[in-house]
Amino acid sequence: MQFKRYKDILFGGVTLALSGAYLICATQIKTRPKLTPGYANAKIIPLLLGGLLAVLSVMCILQGVRKMKDAAAEKQQDKAGKGDLLTVTLTFAVILGYIAILPRLGFCLSTMIYLFLQMLVLAPKEKRNYPLFAAVSVGFTAIAFVAFRIGLQQLLPRGLIESLLGF
Amino acid sequence: MSTLQLIGAGFGTVLTPTGIFLMLIGVAVGIVFGALPGLSATMAIALFLPVTYAMTSSNAMTLLMALFIGAISGGLISAILLRIPGTPSSVATCFDGHPLVAKGQAAKALGLGVVFSFLGTIFSTILLMFLAPQIAKVAINFGPYEFFSIAIFSLTMIATLSSGNMVKGIIAGVIGFMFSTVGTDAIESTQRFTFGMTSLKGGFDMLAVMVGLFAVGEIIAAAETSHHKSEEVATQPSMKGIKGFGFSMKEFVSQRWNALRSAFIGMGIGILPGIGGGTSNMLAYTVAKNSDKHPEEFGTGRIDGVVASETANNATIGGAMVPLLTLGIPGDTTTAMLLGALTLHNLTPGPLLFENQAPVVYGIFAAMLISSVIMLFMEFFGLRVFVKLLSIPKYILLPCIFVLCAIGAYNLKNNMSQVIACILFGVIGFAFKKFDIPTTPFILGFILGPLAEQNYRRGLMRTGGSFLPFLQSPISLIFLGIALFVIILAATKPLRQKRKAAKAITAS
Repeated sequence: MQFKRYKDILFGGVTLALSGAYLICATQIKTRPKLTPGYANAKIIPLLLGGLLAVLSVMCILQGVRKMKDAAAEKQQDKAGKGDLLTVTLTFAVILGYIAILPRLGFCLSTMIYLFLQMLVLAPKEKRNYPLFAAVSVGFTAIAFVAFRIGLQQLLPRGLIESLLGF
Repeated sequence: MSTLQLIGAGFGTVLTPTGIFLMLIGVAVGIVFGALPGLSATMAIALFLPVTYAMTSSNAMTLLMALFIGAISGGLISAILLRIPGTPSSVATCFDGHPLVAKGQAAKALGLGVVFSFLGTIFSTILLMFLAPQIAKVAINFGPYEFFSIAIFSLTMIATLSSGNMVKGIIAGVIGFMFSTVGTDAIESTQRFTFGMTSLKGGFDMLAVMVGLFAVGEIIAAAETSHHKSEEVATQPSMKGIKGFGFSMKEFVSQRWNALRSAFIGMGIGILPGIGGGTSNMLAYTVAKNSDKHPEEFGTGRIDGVVASETANNATIGGAMVPLLTLGIPGDTTTAMLLGALTLHNLTPGPLLFENQAPVVYGIFAAMLISSVIMLFMEFFGLRVFVKLLSIPKYILLPCIFVLCAIGAYNLKNNMSQVIACILFGVIGFAFKKFDIPTTPFILGFILGPLAEQNYRRGLMRTGGSFLPFLQSPISLIFLGIALFVIILAATKPLRQKRKAAKAITAS
């Protein structure tokens, strides 16, 4: 509930910081004065965008402060359902893990592990069907490998299983 | 070649065994993506892009157009049977579609939705076939002033799109524009915001951005509620004793003006950059309701509501293709994905496309027409199969979709950089959802930013730093004038609403 209350202020703060960082980087862009004049160089648009974002961020923060004072808005926010942060965090972790192991273990092994774990994370406890998830993980990975690597001749990260299969 | 000869050449390109096969597959898969809530036409195209890498440009566009048409129309299945729109283009279909099911008229609701979806697509495609080449003939003379002004006009649509949340919408657009500046500057060839990383020298790939924002972001967002929602089950509608498409000729004829009006609304909304089927179906429904003698009956099972919504959302397809093919400016998020597909297959959208690749362009038109016919019969008579697919749980479907997204992103550059970019934009898409930030302005800013920047700088270099020539070009002046008017209108909307409310209080 606290997050909903301060949402706009938080977002405005983040974008204000982003605009500051962007402007600092924009001032460091190397230009070629012999090639393009100052009014059309590579810095102009980034500086304009950074400035515009800073102004809009302040407006967003002010909007957020005004909303905080609105009691009716707060009541409406209370009615909104709560999200499942643990599942989101685990989903992130599983996705990041997949990206980390994909170049090392190859497409087949990484994808089977990822699919199995991701289905476990997303499924409600009473619907966790381990044999079904294992079958879908292996089956879908096999179909995707055959379709993309063999059928469409597209490269996929190579690992143990791919080496054993001769790809 | 004359227009008729080109149309013939287009049909010739598409009506091959491979082309017909691709359209059948594309429409079927598109309907599934449209029918399943949480999936979308944009996602369908994103997932099938890697499949088209090895195809000819003609076959690739045939498949992708079939997916587009199937997906936009498929949304009506869950909208009518589950009261959950399969895509944002079918929100208004729920209002009267589901009550018709409650009255035991499911077949009629589905039949009307399918037939008028077909008619909406045919109408807009035929208009597209004759309108687009004429616009292209004018656009071929456009220079940096005109392209800059059109890009600015399109970017100001962000203000109208986000009128309820204008500041946040414009922030999203600006952030999208900022991301487009990452990479090598097109004019000076200097590095911007690459931090010494080789993988960023080419900037972010549009497809990785789109797939990340729409597909990956959706998957992460679904994780938030995956344990809460109980999966709705669609009941199989009874098709016994149903003649034709489930409605009478009298009912069909009674909807002719509603359908025509809704088709024009859909086409018009589609042409305007940044607005898509999500808006056209609601607008057409609202207009149908407000112009009816008994508006209070809308929402209780009026066929007019279903007809208005489904005609408009499919008519938007043809409309959205107009700015895409003639100017290279996407009409909505799905056509933004198609822009990526065209570029991938070395087809540069814009006025020269009609000169250099006319058979491919007319092949796209032919694919749209034939896919609409396939959609008409497949969706209605294959309904049982599609309804069964609605029962696949999201916790099985979404991880599989993520893997397909990862394959697609990997194949963009055959390394992990675009997969990582895809996930980064997935996180941004999720964050946008949490903070109630619209994603469409971000996409518009990302795609149109470079167009606006490069033409602005080229125009200024041509004029020695003077902005006056931008205003001296008639087309440029018109678009800049409309852009200014739109901004003022959107900015003063809250003030005008306050005045209206104050007047209403005074009057009462």
